[in-house]
Amino acid sequence: MKHVIFVRIFICCLLLMLSLQTLQAQSEKLVFSPHWIPQAQFAGFYVALDQGFYRDAGLDVQIIHSSADVSSLDLLKSGKADVVSSFLMDAIKLRVNQTPLVNIAQLSQHSALMLVAKKKSGISKPEDLQGKKLGIWSSGFDDIPFAFLRDRKINMEIVRILNTVNLFLMDGVDVMTVMNYNEYDQIINSGINEEELTAFYFADYGYDIPEDGLYCLESTYKTKKDALRKFVQATLKGWEYAAKNRDYTVNLVVAEMKKAHLPNNKAHQYWMLDKVLELITPGNKKVAYGQLMRADFLYALDIIKINSGIKDIKLTMEDFFMD
Amino acid sequence: MRTKSLSFKIIIRILFFTILLGAAIFSTYYYYTRSEIERSTRENAVFLADNTIKMIEEIIKPAEMIPNNLSWMLETGAIPKDSIMPFLAKLVKNNPIIYASAIAFEPGMFAPNVAAYAPYAYRNGEKIETINLWSPDYNYFIMDWYQIPAMLKESYWTEPYYDEGGADALLSTYSVPFYLNKGGERVLGGIITIDISLEWLTEIVRSVKIFETGYAFLISRTGVYVTHPDPNNIMNQTIFTRAKELEEPELRDIGRNMIHGVSDLTSIDLKTLGYVWIYHTQMPTTKWSLGVVYPHNEMFAGLHKLNFTIILLSFIGLGLLLFFTIRIINRQISPLAKFAASARGIASGDFNTELPHIENSEEMKELHDSFAFMQKELADYIVHLKETTSAKEKIESELRIAKEIQMGMIPHIFPPFPDMPEIDLYATLLSAKEVGGDLYDFFLLDDNRMCFAIGDVSGKGIPASLFMAVTRTLLRSVADKEKSTAEIVSSINKTLSFNNESNMFVTFFLGILDIQKGELKYCNAGHNPPILIKNKKDVSYFNITKAIPVGLFESYEYTEESIRIALDDQIFLYTDGLTEAEDVNNALFGDDLLLQVISQHAAASPREIIEATTQAVANHVKGHTQSDDLTMMSISYYGTTRA
Repeated sequence: MKHVIFVRIFICCLLLMLSLQTLQAQSEKLVFSPHWIPQAQFAGFYVALDQGFYRDAGLDVQIIHSSADVSSLDLLKSGKADVVSSFLMDAIKLRVNQTPLVNIAQLSQHSALMLVAKKKSGISKPEDLQGKKLGIWSSGFDDIPFAFLRDRKINMEIVRILNTVNLFLMDGVDVMTVMNYNEYDQIINSGINEEELTAFYFADYGYDIPEDGLYCLESTYKTKKDALRKFVQATLKGWEYAAKNRDYTVNLVVAEMKKAHLPNNKAHQYWMLDKVLELITPGNKKVAYGQLMRADFLYALDIIKINSGIKDIKLTMEDFFMD
Repeated sequence: MRTKSLSFKIIIRILFFTILLGAAIFSTYYYYTRSEIERSTRENAVFLADNTIKMIEEIIKPAEMIPNNLSWMLETGAIPKDSIMPFLAKLVKNNPIIYASAIAFEPGMFAPNVAAYAPYAYRNGEKIETINLWSPDYNYFIMDWYQIPAMLKESYWTEPYYDEGGADALLSTYSVPFYLNKGGERVLGGIITIDISLEWLTEIVRSVKIFETGYAFLISRTGVYVTHPDPNNIMNQTIFTRAKELEEPELRDIGRNMIHGVSDLTSIDLKTLGYVWIYHTQMPTTKWSLGVVYPHNEMFAGLHKLNFTIILLSFIGLGLLLFFTIRIINRQISPLAKFAASARGIASGDFNTELPHIENSEEMKELHDSFAFMQKELADYIVHLKETTSAKEKIESELRIAKEIQMGMIPHIFPPFPDMPEIDLYATLLSAKEVGGDLYDFFLLDDNRMCFAIGDVSGKGIPASLFMAVTRTLLRSVADKEKSTAEIVSSINKTLSFNNESNMFVTFFLGILDIQKGELKYCNAGHNPPILIKNKKDVSYFNITKAIPVGLFESYEYTEESIRIALDDQIFLYTDGLTEAEDVNNALFGDDLLLQVISQHAAASPREIIEATTQAVANHVKGHTQSDDLTMMSISYYGTTRA
């Protein structure tokens, strides 16, 4: 008799395990693509994945990376990614250009974009930029620099560059657009001291426009609203965890970089993590973590209107940002 | 203070100076050796770095010649444009060092309507493949390998890169701008490149071995590690990120010097390697910088090992030195202790004490000889001393006997004439240590006359005593009842003066008292005048006569004087030993004090007077040694009435 009872208990347990597995299999699948190669800029996503925050939220998240050839927005448009991160300006422009994407979270609240020049080029104030060569990425991120130059009536010779700082280091250009969290530190890590550089932070000149945000297609938002909300919350949790566990986070990021066969070192990733965490923090802006401030949205839209020369862009905050 | 042994002091000093000298020599040696090692290390570092760079340059320089020549060929039209692709394929095939090569044209420079064209030949296993690099996804105009040399109008070695999926190796591209003629103008035609695998280069640098952990490393123009012993650093770290991670700001300074093309030997204390010397210099072609790292500890490891040996040997040597020094010194100076024992033996009277046997030291031999000489001299001296002492003792004994004989000549029994109540007489002769020349005498010439005398011979000792004895004997033999005092004295004088070669003399007072009549006849030959005490109270000196002492002039005629002595009168006679008795301050007793003492005891008997005077003298001299005989004689006359 006893034997029969044990068999029954065993069968019950087996059934229970199977049902649990089925439950897990039913968790919502999401594909996320950051808008650049693995680096500390996206630490929160790796942490949320590694720490199981997504899984705990009932999500099965997969991170795929964009490349110089295929941007995260391309992946979004093609349906290869459900959620992507992107620059606010780029996303608005895409939306204006009829790509039905929406912002589901504004992670960065500040601008990390800046111009950097070598002091030896004789540049110490914006007026000194007149007539100099400016290196700007061919991939974009140029709205604010152009607004800055236009507002100050500064003419510069624009040189499109790919993604290295070597032309600047070789004195091929006098000035370069860089991200404070990335290329600026790369320049310093190439042997140029900070005191040898003149830095113009656009944020200091009134262009503190948020950058990285999370986007999905409107259709996705409609069907996976709940999963997306969970994704945003788990991501914010990931960032919170990253801020409190810098060493772990940097190690995780470096491991991701190694997986992608990218040059990696901790010094730069620590710098990037610290700077990106500063960007995420609202600071003097009256906005909650992950929220897009209406004023920022309108300012960004204004700049785009002026840059593109299209004045009657009809895009509202409510259409664009899904709280 | 505790005195330390001589050997201890010598050894301590030797040890001290040996250590001092050793330390000085060692320091000098260490300093110079260290400088020498540093100098040779510097030379070696420079040589090593230069040599490594030379090896690399020997490969790179000919490779650089290929695109350089190619640019000239393109400009001159030596290569027809339609055969560029096969030309590149041939070029890659024929040059094993080249992994791939491209000729990338500026827009419209290959053909007026061709916006971009970049024929490219690369290795694919054994085969050489050719393609056009340009595609919408590969805009070569903004690639570093194209953009930088195109903008700078100069050849450029790109940052090293890992060619994943292609060569699967670390590559660097050498880009050379070429120019073409367009509308009569020399304009940029494009960029010629060769991709070179850096495997051989890393192999050359990696093969540099310095001591145990020293190494060579190569960094690119932006500080990226092209080679490093830790493969994790290659392409991942720049020397600056590493400086940041290791928190070594000095390493950043070194890195800056390196990318600026400075050649320098510098030192840095690294957390990973400890204190190291780094020599760095730039490669002329790629402008990359090579560093050679010399761990300081290992640089001086040999020296430190040698130092340890030297110090160890020094301690052993010092120990041996100490051991032998102690032995030698102890052996050398051990006779001193024996000498001391011998000296103690000699001092205690054992003149035959054996002296230590000396063989090895001149000085000790000399000391030994001196000791032996001293021993012999002392022995001789003692023998001599013994003889002298016994001779002296003999003389002293004889003198004592002479003194006893002399004293025996002087009457000692008082009262001398118990049967004669008319006179009382008392005399003393307290002789000094030596035999003296004082004398006194008294005797009866007949029943009625008493002869008495007192004298003092000039000088002291045996001659004086002999002279005294002679004088006394002469007195006894010459004096008789027939002769006057003057005749007796003159007779004595005559005898004494005769053949008196020694010129001795004697002051002499001779008196003859007529007991019945109380008449005193006397002759004073230069002697102290006696004191006359009258009626037991009046004290006065006799008149001083001018007669000379006896023994000087043979023919001198002495005269007699006489006084009358009353009942109870007393005559006090003395020698100059009394009046010239000295105290410690050489103050004389003196005539006045004498008279005072006598007058105080004027009523006393002769014995009492003499005893009182003796006491007075003793009080005066207060224990000062008596230098002369002290002779006193006092005669009291009671006359016949008492009988």
